[in-house]
Amino acid sequence: MELTDAQLIARTLVDDDHYAFAELVRNHQSTVRGLLRQLTGSDIGLADDLAQETFLRAYKNLRNFRGEARFSTWLYRIAYNCFREHARKRKELVGIDEEQLEREHDPQTVDPALRHDLMHALSLLPLHERTAVVLCCQNGLSHDEAARVLDIPLGTVKTNVLRGREKLKRTLAEWGPN
Amino acid sequence: MNAMNDDDTLDRQLRDAAPYIDDEGFTARVIARLPAPRREPRWLRAMVLLGVTALGSGVAYLLSGGGRFVREGVIQLSTFPIWLLLVFAFGCGLVVGAFAVIFAIRKTPEVRDLGRLRF
Repeated sequence: MELTDAQLIARTLVDDDHYAFAELVRNHQSTVRGLLRQLTGSDIGLADDLAQETFLRAYKNLRNFRGEARFSTWLYRIAYNCFREHARKRKELVGIDEEQLEREHDPQTVDPALRHDLMHALSLLPLHERTAVVLCCQNGLSHDEAARVLDIPLGTVKTNVLRGREKLKRTLAEWGPN
Repeated sequence: MNAMNDDDTLDRQLRDAAPYIDDEGFTARVIARLPAPRREPRWLRAMVLLGVTALGSGVAYLLSGGGRFVREGVIQLSTFPIWLLLVFAFGCGLVVGAFAVIFAIRKTPEVRDLGRLRF
């Protein structure tokens, strides 16, 4: 029987059960690492370091998770804070790595050309719009949840998603066949 | 590249384009960095709880004069009319039930979120 996030969290807290926490990491590692790859401009090594830091912080602060939001939303918030702290330290945001984007292609579900265009167009968006689009459109968070993750007003999230979507559409239309 | 007809199409394509990232030892690396688990066995926790409860009960028994107030309270209750006892019991049940419902709602996000649903 597959345990829910709430059950796994309870086991981790009550019994300090590392197996339960490992299951939580396994369930959420792909989306957290995916988000951080988008934020870091596909710097896979950096994204994975930040993802590890995210899960370690989640473990240390698990008692502060009150279940008011989804566990994944709480993780995204920690991941975003890790990224912001790192960016603040480096005082710069890294650019896109085309070769790494190429390696991420998985041609089984989506046309490779479309996947490449989408991911590349996404990476060209300004960071605040890209983050909002990734959280809301790609990871299915509501505007309200994204506002909590990013710690910005709800209206700003809506604006960023709207502008990000419009720019994506425009870019994809420009790249499309005439 | 297909023309994007609407936001839903774009969102769906974005979700489909996001690759699933294989674990490839990531979870193991995270777990290896966790602090060592507490070694306190469950039976020890149970024994501590039982011991503290027994000690507290013993102290309360001694301080209350061997539970004299309980005997006196029961004797006093036995002189009350039966309908008053029933009302008292019903009232106690209501209070306890109300607290139970409040705590259940606070601990259950699915129930708590019902209030936010729009029909």
